[in-house]
Amino acid sequence: MSEKFETFSYDDAIVKKFLLATVIWAGVAFLLGILIALQLAFWQLNFNTEWLTFGRMRPLHTNAAIFAFAGNAIFAGIYYSTQRLLKTRMYNDMLSKIHFWGWQLIILAAAITLPLGFSQSKEYAELEWPIDIAITVIWVIFSLNLFGTIARRRERHLYVAIWFYIATVITVAVLHVINSIEYPVSLLQSYPVYAGIQDALVQWWYGHNAVAFFLTTPFLGLMYYFIPKAANRPVYSYRLSIVHFWSLVFIYIWAGPHHLLYTALPDWAQTLGMIFSLMLWAPSWGGMINGLLTLRGAWHLLRTEPIIKFMVAAVTFYGMSTFEGPLLSIKSVSALGHYTDWIIGHVHSGALGWNGMLSFGMIYFLIPKLWKQEMYSKKLMTYHFWFGLLGILLYYISMVTAGITQGMMWRAIDATGRLVYPDFVETVMRIVPLYYVRAIGGVLYFIGFCLMVYNIYKTLKAAPKDSKEEVYKAMPMEANPEKPDAKWHRRLEGKGFAFSLLAFLAIIVGSIIEILPTLNIDKYVPQNVYVDPFTPLEQTGRDIYVKEGCYVCHSQMIRKLPEEVLRYGKASSIADSMYDRPFQWGSKRTGPDLARVGGKYPDLWHYRHMLDPRAVTQNSLMPAYPWLFEKKIDFMSTRKKLTVLQNLGVPYTDEEVANADKLASEQAERIAASLATELKNLDPQSPVTAKSLRDKEIVALIAYLQALGTKVDDSELVEASE
Amino acid sequence: MSDIKDDEKEILLDHDYDNIQELDNPLPKWWLLTFYGTIIFSVFYYAYYELGSGPSLSEELREDMQVVEAKMREADRKAEANIDWQALAKDPEALAVGKSIYDKNCASCHAAQGQGLIGPNLADNYWIHGDGSMPEIAKILKKGVLEKGMPPWQEILKPEELQATTAYVYNMIGTNPPNPKAPQGEKIEL
Ligand code: HEC
Ligand code: HEC
Repeated sequence: MSEKFETFSYDDAIVKKFLLATVIWAGVAFLLGILIALQLAFWQLNFNTEWLTFGRMRPLHTNAAIFAFAGNAIFAGIYYSTQRLLKTRMYNDMLSKIHFWGWQLIILAAAITLPLGFSQSKEYAELEWPIDIAITVIWVIFSLNLFGTIARRRERHLYVAIWFYIATVITVAVLHVINSIEYPVSLLQSYPVYAGIQDALVQWWYGHNAVAFFLTTPFLGLMYYFIPKAANRPVYSYRLSIVHFWSLVFIYIWAGPHHLLYTALPDWAQTLGMIFSLMLWAPSWGGMINGLLTLRGAWHLLRTEPIIKFMVAAVTFYGMSTFEGPLLSIKSVSALGHYTDWIIGHVHSGALGWNGMLSFGMIYFLIPKLWKQEMYSKKLMTYHFWFGLLGILLYYISMVTAGITQGMMWRAIDATGRLVYPDFVETVMRIVPLYYVRAIGGVLYFIGFCLMVYNIYKTLKAAPKDSKEEVYKAMPMEANPEKPDAKWHRRLEGKGFAFSLLAFLAIIVGSIIEILPTLNIDKYVPQNVYVDPFTPLEQTGRDIYVKEGCYVCHSQMIRKLPEEVLRYGKASSIADSMYDRPFQWGSKRTGPDLARVGGKYPDLWHYRHMLDPRAVTQNSLMPAYPWLFEKKIDFMSTRKKLTVLQNLGVPYTDEEVANADKLASEQAERIAASLATELKNLDPQSPVTAKSLRDKEIVALIAYLQALGTKVDDSELVEASE
Repeated sequence: MSDIKDDEKEILLDHDYDNIQELDNPLPKWWLLTFYGTIIFSVFYYAYYELGSGPSLSEELREDMQVVEAKMREADRKAEANIDWQALAKDPEALAVGKSIYDKNCASCHAAQGQGLIGPNLADNYWIHGDGSMPEIAKILKKGVLEKGMPPWQEILKPEELQATTAYVYNMIGTNPPNPKAPQGEKIEL
């Protein structure tokens, strides 16, 4: 028998790399978070500088948190646990290295392009097309490496952690590819093939499932490995693992439209989003139960072991946010909570609580194993935990309070049928103190993190220098055939390919049923409704709006709720955004909705407002945009833009496309001339002339803002229904 | 090997992954009931709203708006029925309300003392619309001049607020604030 044993070693060098990258990027993501939290409380921190302004920093923060911090943490945990659970080295060390360096380069590319304003504006998918391609390539390399490892395993059956890794790898690939189908305009700009409701639906199918399959399933996999390891206890229920795994991956994929309740999305899709979110509650809690009850009989460790503290807190926050998620998906609750800071609080109880705490627990578990050196200070670990926990609590409580407060103010209607708080800024002023509390929470969390960095530094310094890979022995898989009485799922766990195929089927069903029907957008727009596309200048202004990230503070979607109609005008319809590439419905209202702002104010109002919002609206916390008054419009690119849009189906005539630059500069000329006259009227010393103004970006942006909500002619439809 | 308690030996599965073992505890009852409950609720919910007679979101909105608009009309009717403009123009309480509304909503376009900025000078005797009398000012406030950039205020301000603001604006006429915008419209002597 003994000659059947094979010897092998694990590639822990790659785990170390991913682990250190996790720590570094975590610091970056947290600092950016603190910066943008303070920008909302204190607008001066936008520094009147284009690449530090909130609209560009917020996407940088979310990308750093999700893909750099959580991403590297996932990879570190997966590379460590997969090798051990499958009793084999990673399939190919070179692939591992390409994966690592490729991923860091992608993050670096994001860190450069996002502040420069190269963005598709689709949340958590902002990166422009060349980077999208790079992500696809690196993800394929990672998948090959993972599936190669699975194929070469010495363990017949796949442990539940591996199931979750498989679901992650497959689904993220599907999500990323489908959501990123875009048509390049230039090296760093593109338009999505989807428009309006399609784009909204695909984006939130992606966005929601990025949370599901990037921030949930891989972390559940990590939980299933690291909690039993750290507590030295058996997993509570294998049966529960099976039921909650399959129900989770099948149901999760449907829930995306809960981000779009009361919008112009067809009712049936909204209702599907809501009910699947409700049905997701139990499958999510299955994971929590299995995590927490694994600790049954080991609760004493909670007092003495900081690692267990982190893990128990993580799983508890997971349970909390997966209860709150379905709650927020109920239509009437969404009516109150959507677009407010409640959602921001919800996200951070998941990100800081579940992802953050689990990552920290995992890091503290792995460092002594990888560097063969006990952590320098257990006490510092415990302090880290308490700082982190206090930070999250302050963050969460302040944001939920802010969200509900503002939501109640937005919807309050008095006996005269008027809004009680018609002045939007008043509802913002009310919650600014809570923005400071939130920032303090973030700082506490960051202090805890700094304790960890110091602790790691001291540990690594003391670690032995020589680190030879240990050699392990195991029999090949064939030595351990399937038992004849094995149940069907046990058998399935022995078949990597069949298992993966089933997981793929589980996530593709819901995707197809929800997305396919909306691809035929024309079906949803009545025949006698006429929609004009944006003029070349307006489209240019729109690209500036996207570039500046105005959508991180402004929605363009008046929901079907009376308080929204009173505040912003007629509820948005499908026609309103049917040529919008990308859609700009937004997800958070730090400022008012802009769907019908066109014509609400004179050009001069916008001119002064964009230059200095506080000159027009006292107490506004919107950043100033002085650079738009200096940077020039690239008129020549309008032809290329219109060509692409025409190819995508926007009804521009060939003549419009051919003369796009001319049409744009004519319109700019008109706006600039009237603005210059009015500025002279106000102040005869004004140095602004029509000539100095006509090629500046601000003119294009004003043209766009004035076009919002003015492009749809549904008078025939309205007459018909009356 | 995991640390196994005596009462767990029965349900311990015969398997070991990197020293991780699994128990085969049954699914918790309350958990299963929650799961079934949400599924059953969902089926009925979808059937009622999307297949059955449940109202669509647009229908719900239409009904809600009818209620709101009825309230609005009723309040407008009451406020306009017994208005005494002359008394209002001298009522310090109303003028204080008018000032706070003006500062918040109008100063950005007509400047702090009505001297005019983006919108015309309100403190002079020149009028683009109407004759500068209070009912006429109220009319402009209500309907606005949207194509020229003056927003309508009828659905935003409560009727009493709108009247108070009218009185406040009326009192600004002839106050000669500094840096006035050049007159626009017809000169009208009151
Ligand atoms: C930090 C969040 C934030 C960002 C980013 C932001 N805004 Fe605002 N915006 C606000 C707030 C708050 C208000 C309300 C107060 C005011 O009028 O300034 C506002 C108001 C507005 C208004 C007036 C809306 C109305 O109906 O009164 C317009 C127009 C506007 N913003 C355009 C923009 C544009 C264009 C951009 C991007 C170049 C932008 N905003 C970026 C926060 C933001
Ligand atoms: C967004 C800018 C803006 C705001 C805010 C605004 N106005 Fe105006 N207003 C204008 C403009 C522009 C005109 C001129 C319309 C025209 O030329 O027909 C005007 C006209 C008027 C007139 C008629 C003047 C005349 O000469 O006939 C009155 C009265 C008036 N506004 C009062 C108010 C009051 C009171 C408020 C606040 C409740 C207010 N406005 C808020 C821009 C504004």
